[in-house]
Amino acid sequence: LRRALSAAAIWLVLAALLAAAALLSPGFLDPAYLVNIVRQAAPIGIAAVGVTFVMILGGVDLSVGAIISFAAVLCAVQMEGRAENVALALATTLAASAAIGLANGLLIAFNRISPFILTLGTALAVYGLTQVYSGGTARGVVAPGFREVFNLRLGGLVPVLALAFVAAAILAEATLRTTRYGRSLYLVGSNRAAATLAGLPIVRLTVATYALSGLLAGLGGIALLARSGVSSTFAGRGLEFDALAAVVLGGTTFEGGRGNVAGTVAGVLVLFVAFNMVNMLGLNYNSQLIVKGLIIIAASAAYTWLNREAD
Amino acid sequence: MSWRLPALIARTGIYWVLLFLFAAALAAIPEFRTAENLANVLTQSAPLGVLAVGQTLVIIAGLIDLSVGQLAGLAVVLVCALADGNSAWTLPVVLLALLLGGGVGAVNGVLANRLRLNPLILTFGMLSVLQGTIFVWTDRSIGRAPAELAWLANGRVYGMPVAALLVVAVALGTHAVLRYSRLGLDLAALGGNEESARRVGVPTGRVRLAAFVLSGLSAGLAGILIAGRLGTGYPIAGAGYELDAIVAVVLGGTALAGGRGSVGGTLAAVLVLGVVSNVLNLLQISAFVQMVAKGLIVILAILANQPHTQKGMVPA
Repeated sequence: LRRALSAAAIWLVLAALLAAAALLSPGFLDPAYLVNIVRQAAPIGIAAVGVTFVMILGGVDLSVGAIISFAAVLCAVQMEGRAENVALALATTLAASAAIGLANGLLIAFNRISPFILTLGTALAVYGLTQVYSGGTARGVVAPGFREVFNLRLGGLVPVLALAFVAAAILAEATLRTTRYGRSLYLVGSNRAAATLAGLPIVRLTVATYALSGLLAGLGGIALLARSGVSSTFAGRGLEFDALAAVVLGGTTFEGGRGNVAGTVAGVLVLFVAFNMVNMLGLNYNSQLIVKGLIIIAASAAYTWLNREAD
Repeated sequence: MSWRLPALIARTGIYWVLLFLFAAALAAIPEFRTAENLANVLTQSAPLGVLAVGQTLVIIAGLIDLSVGQLAGLAVVLVCALADGNSAWTLPVVLLALLLGGGVGAVNGVLANRLRLNPLILTFGMLSVLQGTIFVWTDRSIGRAPAELAWLANGRVYGMPVAALLVVAVALGTHAVLRYSRLGLDLAALGGNEESARRVGVPTGRVRLAAFVLSGLSAGLAGILIAGRLGTGYPIAGAGYELDAIVAVVLGGTALAGGRGSVGGTLAAVLVLGVVSNVLNLLQISAFVQMVAKGLIVILAILANQPHTQKGMVPA
């Protein structure tokens, strides 16, 4: 029971936030509104799934925010507003995003350097590249139909984008729980020495996981483009910390070897329910920043407290 | 300790990077060589130098402080708005900025201790709170810095930039604390292994509080320097400094995991970043390309500076 309570801590925080939101406005619990929150959370949520994998392995990926921006711009430019370009644009974007992740993975696996700093460096370089590529302004035109497909509400309720997020999360959780690859991540993250002795291919696992994180951040960028329709070069700025906050709120630790995607999903939802509550209170963006900060601290405190009670 | 050349180079990696970079810039770029420009590099690096020294303490203690950039920014706005160019206000606003820095640092420390929050999440939340506070106060530049602060940030004594001397003084003081004081030992012990530290009687709560307060003070001081440099309370003056500070600390050889590090390495890394930025400006490279270059330099520098693990040793 105690373990169950610990695992459920972030969900309890989410439930408490939702209850508070419902008190503020009964409309908050309207299913249409709730699935819309999931839709808003999709870009960061998808990227956060990749960060979860990297952190279970004992690393960290701060380049995801930059890759989200880069992917959104690249995809929009490649589409040039023509429907027949969509497939190629998506393929190019995902390949380029995965390539950035691959470069992260190769550098980290073969050089044993701090992933925190390395991926910060990658982030700077990729932000710069995005700016150079776009000339510093919004560039590229979204193809007709592209946004409509992603924002279509299946059964008049669930947007495709929200569904894509949930599907990605379920697939990722299943991978972590049932595949050899998923189990290996936990072993390497919790005890690298033992994993080496057991003959796990640590280099290959590291490279693959960072590449996957890059790929998922690319998907996040495409999701952002689909959600907003604008390929602003700074669209992803700071999102790496939102993703990181969500992952850590969800119970994945910096030390590695612990965590899961379900917790991350709850963490992302806590952040976005909080953002929406602030909006609902009618506060402007500046005071939203203050409330966002306080909620991150309070949610993290509540989560830590619940976890400690459970121990 | 090994005196074999590769090991020596690895241990002093950032100093070699700085030396090589500096020599290359001296040789290749005539404008770089002027005394005026060299003093400029030091002056421009000063705020980051102060912030990075503070961050070194925090990271040695196994913590991290993402709130320092916005904290410095809030100090900039506070100093300029209150003083508004009036010299009579110089001392009060300087004290107030340091009080603000130390106070926010204390809040970070108390919250980290009482609520047992992850420092990254906690200070990220604080970053957001401080950024919001600045923008609620003002979304445009307000006030003016008094002349004394302009002198502190841009002035010279005997040809040496005052701000650089200030950074050296702060760094020497911090170095002395780390090497020779009880607090320095305790900080490293906390960063090395919290559980062991507590068992041998290190007051971990108080040490953590001290680390955050010192970090906050460094942010207040950096804010005073930035205010003097800019001359006005620019609300986004502090944005991004936290990342530059962390980059400098880690490039300087301080382990992100905590437990060991050096102020000297941090300052060398600050100068590396300063020289690179100065050279790119002299070469009139666009800000976008500069960003790419900075990212690549961070990657190259950390590759050059990687700790050499012995054969058969398991990397951390």
